[in-house]
Amino acid sequence: MGFFLVLKAELVRTFIIMRRYWFATLTSLVIGYGMLMGLILGFMARRDQVTEMIDNRFGVDPSSATNAALGLIIGSFAFGIIGIFSQGLQNMARSGQLEQLCLSPHGLVTNFLARSLVGSTASILTSSIILFLVAHSVEGRIYADPLPVAALLFLTYVDLIGFGFMLGGLVLLFKQTGQIAVIVRIALLGLAVWASDRVDTGYAVLDALVHILPVTDAAICLKHVLIRNQILLDTGQFVSVFEISSFYYLVLNSLVWTAIGISVFKWMENWSRDKGTLGSY
Amino acid sequence: MNPGYMVEVANVNKVFHTHHFLQRHEESGKRAWYRKKTVRAARNISFGIRKGEIFGLLGPNGAGKTTTVKMISGLVRPTAGAVYVDGMNVDTKRLATLRRIGVVLEGTRTSIWPLTPLENLAYFGNLRDVKGPVLRKRGMELLDLIGLKDKMNVQVRHLSRGQKQKLAICIALISDPPVLLLDEPTTGLDVQSSRSIKDKILEITRELGKCVLVTTHDMNVAQELCDNIGIIADGRLVACKPTHALIDYFSDVTCAFYLDRAADPTPFLGIPGVLSAECNSEDGEYALVLRLIRQEDQRSAALYAIVELLKNSGRLLHGVERRKQTLENVFIQLTSGLPPATGD
Ligand SMILES: Nc1ncnc2c1ncn2[C@@H]1O[C@H](COP(=O)(O)OP(=O)(O)O)[C@@H](O)[C@H]1O
Ligand SMILES: [Mg+2]
Repeated sequence: MGFFLVLKAELVRTFIIMRRYWFATLTSLVIGYGMLMGLILGFMARRDQVTEMIDNRFGVDPSSATNAALGLIIGSFAFGIIGIFSQGLQNMARSGQLEQLCLSPHGLVTNFLARSLVGSTASILTSSIILFLVAHSVEGRIYADPLPVAALLFLTYVDLIGFGFMLGGLVLLFKQTGQIAVIVRIALLGLAVWASDRVDTGYAVLDALVHILPVTDAAICLKHVLIRNQILLDTGQFVSVFEISSFYYLVLNSLVWTAIGISVFKWMENWSRDKGTLGSY
Repeated sequence: MNPGYMVEVANVNKVFHTHHFLQRHEESGKRAWYRKKTVRAARNISFGIRKGEIFGLLGPNGAGKTTTVKMISGLVRPTAGAVYVDGMNVDTKRLATLRRIGVVLEGTRTSIWPLTPLENLAYFGNLRDVKGPVLRKRGMELLDLIGLKDKMNVQVRHLSRGQKQKLAICIALISDPPVLLLDEPTTGLDVQSSRSIKDKILEITRELGKCVLVTTHDMNVAQELCDNIGIIADGRLVACKPTHALIDYFSDVTCAFYLDRAADPTPFLGIPGVLSAECNSEDGEYALVLRLIRQEDQRSAALYAIVELLKNSGRLLHGVERRKQTLENVFIQLTSGLPPATGD
């Protein structure tokens, strides 16, 4: 019950700020659109090559435009969510709002869950708008089953927050680590762009490591649903996401990371209370 | 645990450890790769606050006031001792005790600046399970009570310091908690805003029957607001008394005699009723500063004797001044172990 009120409070706050700072909201949309358009137009200049790949119908080439564009969107989604826990937390400490959240009778974890849920919903909405605008501009069509995509996006969110909580706990303790988190965020973005059908680095250990990191399997599944399903559409066949191993990795990954992340966060919150740095900058 | 107290701080200690890298040592000037420092921010602090009472925690910067407030609100965990709010241990029942307290730490930084006061109250109300018509009604009442009603639709970033501080108090009160903790509510405000905040705190306590803790380094604020005052210095609660008792306790009189030449303070200490004596040079003049006993007939005799002694020494007496008791003097007395005036 309390969680939904916190969620509502966050939603209203986010909406008011987006509306009040409409210029910033609008420019971020335009910039996102511009970047994606640039990327796609670049690939369109080499259209025949791309068509050939799609005709191939074998797999998704990691260098294909759609793969990169989708990767960029999923990557920036991850970038954003982790950002709420790292830089976001650091900025809140600086502005004094974190202290208020620490004094909330629902606890920090609930508040950050609500905050990140609202933040990611907002970013999914803006990404969808950008994606549809881009698709419209290049006269392509986006076909997406809303339900599986939404379910996968939610899993992606769960996959990321555990990691986010872990970084957030670190930032609670050592406020300056917010800067280091930028590297982690960029790495996740790169991972989302790079990960395609399978992970195959040639080294078993490295493969395992890549699977353990959040976002990898999420990106694979989402790309799978959004690209492969479209490719096979005219044959009337869907490749179900349940048929790829990444989906199960994703579910497992989400559960494990969330459990670890929230425990670590609570532990660090307590430590921070001992150190006297909870909520302050 | 004393059941009469709404807030009770029982033998609380807090030790902070800080780690320093590549820092020069203050005294030796030597540079070390790593050094650990220990600060004892609270040493065996104990006090209690009843319902409907304003308790003032008075002390200079760095005394441990904010740390104490943070320990009551669960932001800092005591190294030893315990804090109880409404009979519950803050450490073990943190979230439950948070429902009973409203805290203003740095008032100007509490609110969300791009939102208006009304939107802020709605946001923080929801965070504390207040919603719907109750939230709206209470929000309006609080803004009215504190005098922000005409600003309720202006973004907080356009408000003045004092108005932000007032809004922070409203935010702390939005869930109608029985306990209100205010950390330096008047610091950095001009005389008028400070006056108005003090009035509002009094009004809120009396009208809504809250249990209030105010920290301040301003003697006047404590004196005007508080029923009980605790004086804290260097992490120690050096005095904790009802306000009137504390003022009596330190109401010995300090007089300054301005002279043309320096005077040796020792002979003055021989006069009955003189508690301490020192001679300073101030702006080319010499001031003989004497602390005198409170009791009036003894003090009078002492003053005549001092004048007599000065006259006999052949010095020119430029003027006499009776100095107000200041917080600074109180601190010096309390922390240096000098006895307070024994008047009664
Ligand atoms: N998180 C912390 N880490 C280390 N030292 C701290 C911390 N918080 C406060 N201190 C130290 O504790 C002492 C008391 O601080 P504080 O309670 O803020 O004083 P006040 O509010 O009375 O000015 C100061 O010496 C301060 O430097
Ligand atoms: Mg302070």
